[in-house]
Amino acid sequence: MRLILSALLSLCLAGSAQAQQEIKVGGIFDLTGITSDVGKPYAQGVRDGVAWTNENGGINGKKIRLVDVDYGYKIPEAVAAYKRMTGDEKVILINGWGTGDTEGLKAQVNQDKVPYISASFSAALTDPTKTPYNFFVGPSYSDGLRAWLRWVKEDWKDKSRNPKVAFFYGDNAYGKSPIEAGRRFCKDNGVDLVDEEIVPGAFQDATSQLLNMKQKGADYAYINVTTTGVSTILRDAKKLGLATKFGSNPYGFGEALPQIAAEAAEGVTGIMVDVPFGENVPGMKRLTDFHQKNHPADTHDTFYVRGWTYALVWTEALKRADKAGQLTGEGVKAALETFKNFDLGGLTEPVTYAPSDHRPTTTVNIYQIKEGKLTKAKKYDMDRRPDWLGL
Amino acid sequence: MLSGEFHTTYASDMALFETRRARRALAVFIVALFAIPFAGTSYWLDVANRAAIAVIAATGLNILTGYTGQISLGNAAFLAVGGYTTAFLANHGVPFLVACPASGVVAALAGMVFGIPSLRLKGLYLAMATLAAHFIVEFAASHWEAVTGGVAGISVPAPSVFGASFADDRRLFFLTVPICVGLLYFARNLFRTRVGKAFIAIRDQDISAEVMGVEVFRHKLLSFAVSSFYVGVAGSLLAYQARIISPENFPLALAIDYLGMIIIGGLGSVLGSILGAIFLTLLPEILRLGTSALSGSFPHLVQLFTPLKVGVFGLTIVLFLVFEPDGLADLWRRIRNWFRLYPFSY
Repeated sequence: MRLILSALLSLCLAGSAQAQQEIKVGGIFDLTGITSDVGKPYAQGVRDGVAWTNENGGINGKKIRLVDVDYGYKIPEAVAAYKRMTGDEKVILINGWGTGDTEGLKAQVNQDKVPYISASFSAALTDPTKTPYNFFVGPSYSDGLRAWLRWVKEDWKDKSRNPKVAFFYGDNAYGKSPIEAGRRFCKDNGVDLVDEEIVPGAFQDATSQLLNMKQKGADYAYINVTTTGVSTILRDAKKLGLATKFGSNPYGFGEALPQIAAEAAEGVTGIMVDVPFGENVPGMKRLTDFHQKNHPADTHDTFYVRGWTYALVWTEALKRADKAGQLTGEGVKAALETFKNFDLGGLTEPVTYAPSDHRPTTTVNIYQIKEGKLTKAKKYDMDRRPDWLGL
Repeated sequence: MLSGEFHTTYASDMALFETRRARRALAVFIVALFAIPFAGTSYWLDVANRAAIAVIAATGLNILTGYTGQISLGNAAFLAVGGYTTAFLANHGVPFLVACPASGVVAALAGMVFGIPSLRLKGLYLAMATLAAHFIVEFAASHWEAVTGGVAGISVPAPSVFGASFADDRRLFFLTVPICVGLLYFARNLFRTRVGKAFIAIRDQDISAEVMGVEVFRHKLLSFAVSSFYVGVAGSLLAYQARIISPENFPLALAIDYLGMIIIGGLGSVLGSILGAIFLTLLPEILRLGTSALSGSFPHLVQLFTPLKVGVFGLTIVLFLVFEPDGLADLWRRIRNWFRLYPFSY
């Protein structure tokens, strides 16, 4: 008993000693929900990025404390966590996760003036007239899908007819996010969208959806669910012997895919927002060094890299806001909007936020799985069209 | 030892609060309750509001399940009906004072519709029929996008009463708690009336109730209506509190949670609904505080929190069923009597 008491006491003392030079940042992660397959490495990346920043000078000498929570991909849980973080913990900004919860919280975030940097690449979050406090790091889901459709157009050799495309997506805000943009892009660019199949949140079988799609005769299919779901669809497609060429969104494509889907993943294309872990780019060294020092036995992937890029972007914003003496929600937002081709050493494309346009980049990298390896296939610079802002 | 309280008339024997002392204690408690908004941090006020909403919903369910003996798994659905009615009305400019009771009424109508099978069904079969209600409402909530906003959810404006906005939890407390107290008062009173006693008669033996002249079906439907009204009002407050609602706010697990609340609190007891609802609302918060206090030394505990919550919930229910089948309300009664009779406990 005495031991426990003294341990508690020392915890309290340690807490109060740290409190003076601390910047509190919220983290809303999915560690147990339907997107936890990619949510876990991402959360680890953010945490490690924060730890690395703290070891390397912090925010101009101040330490960051990440107050994080697992919300299980449930919107109500995210709302409760948000209330606790802004009300009790008084965090300066929040590193969020899903599309549904981010879009759900956008009005409150705006009212409370809390920068909300989330892992959702939903294009609906890029228009500052509607969502001035929302940010993300990477091309939007919509630009990803448009780029993939461009790749389809180039890959399609039969000029007698248009390529036929199908979309697979989950029945949630993330799944549906780029679909409207995709529909319009197909219409304007001579791609026939022949089928849309909706899959449940977590599923073990996609046979009936695939048989539907087969009937509609799709040559290509874009899958907008996370890695586990993508591999289920790919394996079922292989079982059914379909010749359709599959593509995947940035949360369904990474090092894990060829491992789980095995030969069914061969030739599959996907949007890679961040490079694979260990890729030979200048920015990777701090990640591999940190990995060697702290957990050399773990394996990491592109989602872990993504977590790092997020931490690096908002810690840079905190540094800039601190230098300007504006360590507030509004100050961090203003600091983020000074980002102009902010270089992350090749981990992801350079990041730009303008006060009138929060699209961080419109460059999309498409990778293809060849002999079980992720290989870079194509790089597209999509247009920064004003009518695509927010769509 | 408390003494000198004699009931000399039937009226005083049947009074809502047995003794003058009980009335005074309650008055002090209610005054103390309104000190919370001035003391608590905004997160704990969020918890307090959620607890008040859970108390209303659990009381509603207790009227149906605890007092009338009609088991229902549809209460998350009625909560959704209330919540979405509020979302719809509030987005069309209907003020809080109209939208909140209207949500209760719409939920009451839904409750009566889904209560019709209770004419024929009892026990497990009725549970299955009300489960169907849950799935129908859930389907409507995720696919009737024009009204419900679909899976992405729908946002709800802040409630305002006579021009005063109740945008944060601190202010909202002054709406949820008075409504909660008023509904509890009504529930306590309900079981002193003919209708309330008819509910209890149906629970104890529906055939003898019929023989005694209770119109069983009418009262069963009435019980569904009153119960769903409570749950609908809770849903309305939930919508105003969360400010965004989606089908995820109303999972089947929530219906089970409410059943857990009245089992842990005590079936057929208004006090039981209060204690059970508060207990189960605070349980995850206490677990969370525990896990986050230890997460410094065990960083993986954060990941365990969600499964832990479910596990502890299950364990609590089993333990209560075995050791305290009459729930927290009975435990409270025994503790109170012990003090009241001290030192002559016999």
